[in-house]
Parts: sequence; C-alpha cells; structure tokens
Amino acid sequence: MEAVPYEAALAAYRAGSGAAAVPADEAALLSGFHPDYGSAAVTLLVGANRGEPCPAAIAHQLHSNALIDDVDIAGAQLASTDVLIVGGGGAGCAAALAAEAAGAKVVLVNKLRLGDCNTVMAEGGIQAAVGAEDSPQRHFQDTMRAGHGAADRDLVAQMVLDGPDVIRWLIRLGISFDLEDEKALGGTLRRKRAGGASAARILSFRDFTGLEMMRVLREAVYLRPNIDTWNRCPAVELLSDDYGACVGAVIYNMESRSFVLVRAGAVILATGGSGRLHLNGFATSNHYGATADGMVLAYRMGAALREAASHQYHPTGLAYPSRLAGALISEAARSGGAKLVNGRGERFIDELRTRDVVAAAIIRECAEGRGVEREGQVGVFLDTPRLEAENPGIVAHDLISLGHLAAKAGIDPAQEPLMVYPTLHYQNGGVAIDRHGATAVKGLFCVGEVSGGIHGSNRMMGNSLLDIFSFGRRAGTAAALQAGRPLKGRSGLGHVHAWQRELTMAGLPLDVRGPALFPGYGHFNLRADAGLRRAEPLEAVA
Amino acid sequence: MNTHPVRITVDGTAFDAPAAATVIQAYATSQTPLVKNVGCMGQGVCGSCRCMVRRAGSREVTMELACETVVEEGMQVSFIDYFTPRRPHVYQAEDIADSWQVNTQLNEVFPEARHCRHCSGCDRSCPKDIAVQRGVNLAVAGDIRGASDVFENCIMCNLCTLACPEYIRPNHVGLFARRAVAALSLRPSDLIARLEQIESGAMSVDTGVLDEEAP
Repeated sequence: MEAVPYEAALAAYRAGSGAAAVPADEAALLSGFHPDYGSAAVTLLVGANRGEPCPAAIAHQLHSNALIDDVDIAGAQLASTDVLIVGGGGAGCAAALAAEAAGAKVVLVNKLRLGDCNTVMAEGGIQAAVGAEDSPQRHFQDTMRAGHGAADRDLVAQMVLDGPDVIRWLIRLGISFDLEDEKALGGTLRRKRAGGASAARILSFRDFTGLEMMRVLREAVYLRPNIDTWNRCPAVELLSDDYGACVGAVIYNMESRSFVLVRAGAVILATGGSGRLHLNGFATSNHYGATADGMVLAYRMGAALREAASHQYHPTGLAYPSRLAGALISEAARSGGAKLVNGRGERFIDELRTRDVVAAAIIRECAEGRGVEREGQVGVFLDTPRLEAENPGIVAHDLISLGHLAAKAGIDPAQEPLMVYPTLHYQNGGVAIDRHGATAVKGLFCVGEVSGGIHGSNRMMGNSLLDIFSFGRRAGTAAALQAGRPLKGRSGLGHVHAWQRELTMAGLPLDVRGPALFPGYGHFNLRADAGLRRAEPLEAVA
Repeated sequence: MNTHPVRITVDGTAFDAPAAATVIQAYATSQTPLVKNVGCMGQGVCGSCRCMVRRAGSREVTMELACETVVEEGMQVSFIDYFTPRRPHVYQAEDIADSWQVNTQLNEVFPEARHCRHCSGCDRSCPKDIAVQRGVNLAVAGDIRGASDVFENCIMCNLCTLACPEYIRPNHVGLFARRAVAALSLRPSDLIARLEQIESGAMSVDTGVLDEEAP
C-alpha cells in the first residue's frame, strides 16, 4: 500500500492547519470503502437463512457439522438445572442474576473464566437518555438512524426505555459512574456524546467503564447461592427434544477432558461476537474467546439470523506498533474532540459521524495513498497533542486507557499523534430475537452480541453495554418463568442428524466441524483433546 | 529496530519468539494449545494472563501480565493458573444498606483484614502498582471511600489474594468498599428525575416517529 513515510507525515502534521474536513458523500464512502460492502460474500446453502449472502468466514462456520456425534457422548456425565446460561460476560451475568432473582437454579458455563469477555474491555460507556434536553424518543431515533433503519423498532424502543432503569440496577449492584460534580446523594451524571448522536448520552466510569461493570458483576454472580459457575467449560452442542425444542447443551470440561450433558428448562446463549475469526484479514479489538460459537449452535438448531453480513470496524484501532495492532482507542477520544489527520496533515472527515462512515473514510485515505507508513504499518493520525493543548490534562484524567495503550506503544500522546486504522470490533447482526431475547427455537434465548436486530447495520457507541443489560435481564426473567416445568422426554442430538442430512443434500462436507471455540492460532482440536475417534478430517482416516 | 527472534522459556518450554511481540502473542506462535491464561490479548484489563517473569541475568521474579510484557532474550515466564475459587466471604449488595454499619459489616465479612502484618507482599504482587496494603488498612479503619479510591484501577487478577499470608483477599476487600460507596451514595438527580418520568408514563417512545436527517 502506498503511503506517506512517518517522518514526512509527522512534519506535515506539525505544519498542518487543523482546518475543517470537507463534507463526505456518505453513501459513496460506504459502498466504496466499507469492508461490509466489498467483502467476498458467499450464499448460505443450509439453515433458516438459506439463499442469503454472508461473509465467507462466517458462512464457513455456519455450514459446519457438529463437533460431536451420539457415540461421543454415550456415557457422559449428566446434570440438570432450570436455566443454563452459556457465556459469563455482561449479558450472561445479567441474565444469571435476573433468572436467579426470579427463582431459578442457574448453571453458568464459561469457555474461559467467568468475566473473560468483551464487556470487561469496553471503554467508552453506556447510553441512557437522562439529560434534561434529551429523551428516550431521541435515543430511539438516533439508534434507528445510525443503524440505517435496519433495526427492529420494538426492540430498540424497549431498550432505550430500559436505559435509566438499567443504570439504577447497576448502581444498586455497586457500579460507579462519573458525575459532573462529585457529591453524595445528588449531582448529575457526566455525559459524553457518541458519534451520530443528537445529544450527550454516554455515561461512563473514566474510560474503563466495562472493567468497572465486570468486576462487580463477576463478584455478584460468584456470591449468589443459586448460580453455579463452571469455568473452562465451553458448550460444544445444544440438546434437542423430539419436537426440536432446546432442552440443554453438551458441555466439554477442559480440565477433566470429558463431556457433561446439562439438561435445562431453558438455555440462554450469551457467547458474544466473532471478531477472532478476523473477517477480511482485519486485526480485531475483540477478546480471545469471540469465535461466533453461539451463533453457529443456534443456527444449526434452526434459529434465523439477521444482518449477519454486517460488522462494525471501529475507526480507531491502534496501527503502530504491530504488536498492539487492532487494540482499541475508545471513541471517548473523538467525542472529547480529537481529530483525524492524514499523511498530508489534512483532516478528511467529521470525526463524529457514525462509526461505519469514519472507518470507511480512514480506509479510503490509506487506500488512496494518503495514509501514514511506519515500519510497514499503515494508518492515519489521531490528533491527541492538539486535544491536550486545547484541554490541558484531558489525556491524563479522562483518557486513562488511551494513556496506558500509548505508554505500551512507547508514545507520549500529549506530544506525538498515535497511528490508527479500523479494527474489527463488533458483530452488528446475529440471531433474531423477540422482546424477551427468545429465538424461533423453543427454549432457546440469545442475548448480547450473539443476538441481532437491535443495532441494525451499524451500532452506536454505548448501545452494546445497554443492550446486554436490557435484554440480559429480560431474557433471564423470561427463561426462569419458562423453566418451571419438569424436565421430561428425550434430550439428544436429533437436530444434528437433521442438520447432517441437510449438509449432505447441499453437497457440503461433514468433516468441517464447528463451532471454532478458539482462534486458529489457539491450536486447539476438540476431538483430539477429548480422545475421540476420527479426530482427524474424515478423509484422512478413511 | 531489532527483528531477530529472541529465545524465551514459557512454562518450561523454550522457543524462538518474534522480536517486539508480547509474551502472550509469542506463546500463540509456539504451536502450544492456547486455551487458558489468555483473555483480552493486550488491553491488560482481564487479569487472565498473570505470570511470574524472570529476566536474563536477574534473580528477581516479578508479577506481570503476559499481554503487557514484551519478550526479551533469555526471559523465563511461568503462568499462574486460575482455579475456581472457594468464596468464604459471602455478602450481597442489597445487605449493604445502612451506612453507619458498613465498617462493621466489612470487618465481619472479611475478619482477616485486621490481621494485616504489613509485609507488603500484596503490594509487590500487584501488576498495576496499586497500594494494596494501604487500601486494606484504610478499609479496616473505616475509611471506606479512601479504600475505594485506592482500588480504582484493580483488574481483579487475584495476585494479592494469592500473596497474602493472612488470607485477607485484599482485592475483594477493595471491591466491597467500592460497591458500598456506589450503592450507598450514588444518587444522580437527573437519573432519578428521568426514572420518575418514565415510570409515571409521562415519557414514552413513539416507534412511528423517525427522522432521516443527520443531527
């Protein structure tokens, strides 16, 4: 990629005027440069969304055969619970606390550990319309507009009205938010403006809001008597009854390398997104565990997806040094006033446009040779020195995570601009749900990033933290109410057999197995680890 | 910039690591299954990749996060595995209701906290340089807000809990203090006003109203 060498770009930056950017043609920018529009899509050949386009890397997962067959789980240990929750991030913890409060016995399984998730990494904050000049109506309209009209209006309306109650619930658990005027029993919440928002609506704690939330949620879940937490226990398949309803899941215990069949009155998938599949070769800001597991399992059982081809490339992933490539610089920097500058020292976009537009603009600058090149890494400048000069102390006090990241990069952000390039950040779509997080499959709920319909085809900053708590709590309560009936009838892999027939009819191979569970560089093969027959691809042993 | 691979040893296995990589990135190139002690991969907020590090020529062992530590020639790294902890100190947020009783409650839930022998083991174990011991001492003495502030940057890696010879579990003491402060004192007036408007029905959302104009 052609680009301006770093030293020359730095000189141009220092001489730069900081003049306003020329207005951009949003539609042309998106269709020309956003990866969603240019990515190699394939057509889904099986499942509820058969015939629809989907990014190849996601389709590869959705087209996969189950990791296990009947014979692999014969004699597996059995357990049962009212509600089984897969994934202990923010959505899973909210669901667990709500389900337990509604009287259910909960098992919460985690692929890694409780709290190993994207929530803990969230920096910017959470949207809730609390300002006197703001309203849930404006929050609704902003969210619909930012999502290009593709979101489900009823889901969005319910979520924005839940916003203030979610904040109260989090405070009751012991989670802090920044105030404008630090005082007990009073004051007003400090608010920041998200890109694409008509009012300042982002509530935060410093710029590590997710850490503040997750450390409290993890503690709260661990201390509840009727929530049993299993760590290092990924769900590798769901269990179905004779009517196709979800009645539990097959869990793999990574410590004992054995399977456990957990029968449950209801299952909630809260497995997060898919950034670690590295779509289109992009670096990601995502947690190590984000490998689309829940979406693959739900789709195999018959749930429908929506906006599955839509992903968010966060505009400001760090581009230099390479060891930190993809690490996130929160939108808090831009909402605080930091500008983007290309290799010629020019601004090129209004930095507070929606994330998809800003990301596409950065990709265009780099694709057309106006990026900055340093040791093989290409990006544009994030102008933190000017921000600091205009607001002395802002980097040290308000942009703490940015400061930590810059320190790791060996750069003083008050003196030298950071190099940024879009990073794969969020799966906008996912499994279609109703207002309670229920999917089309009876007994199966999805909440958080694995679900779809809330963000349309572009998510606003701060709406995912709201999404996980709004829908997590509702799904937990709904699942608990549904789970009251006694477990009876068969639970097995009937849906997998039907799926295998479908794969064969479509001419798809049976030796591609999923979900991935870990990224390729994790070097993990479930069937080999568990000592199962046919651990190698089928052709290899035939 | 040096681009030659460097030789490091992780959990007893030596391999050539890419120069300038973090320990966790280097480990991911070593063909070893990477299925634990890994999480946020560089942000330093999840505490999963906590490890002991000894650098070539040094006798000192430091506690670090593998995702924030850059490889060096001759570096030795040992991950410190997590086990699902037994939780002897049980309390619920809703039980922290009377601010006159918070200090008593804290000392009841964490009776070991007052046994601190000032060995500073917790301070030395902290990868975030938190003044852990001071935070515990403030909490015991009743300065709940002071203790809360000390633990503001805590990522709950539990290294201080492992290090404490008195089983104090300092990071959990700190989190109790933080939760108490938020749950008892955070009552933003704008939030309360908006909740009243929504719950009284005075404010709702009309899903028929959309605007296509950018703000």
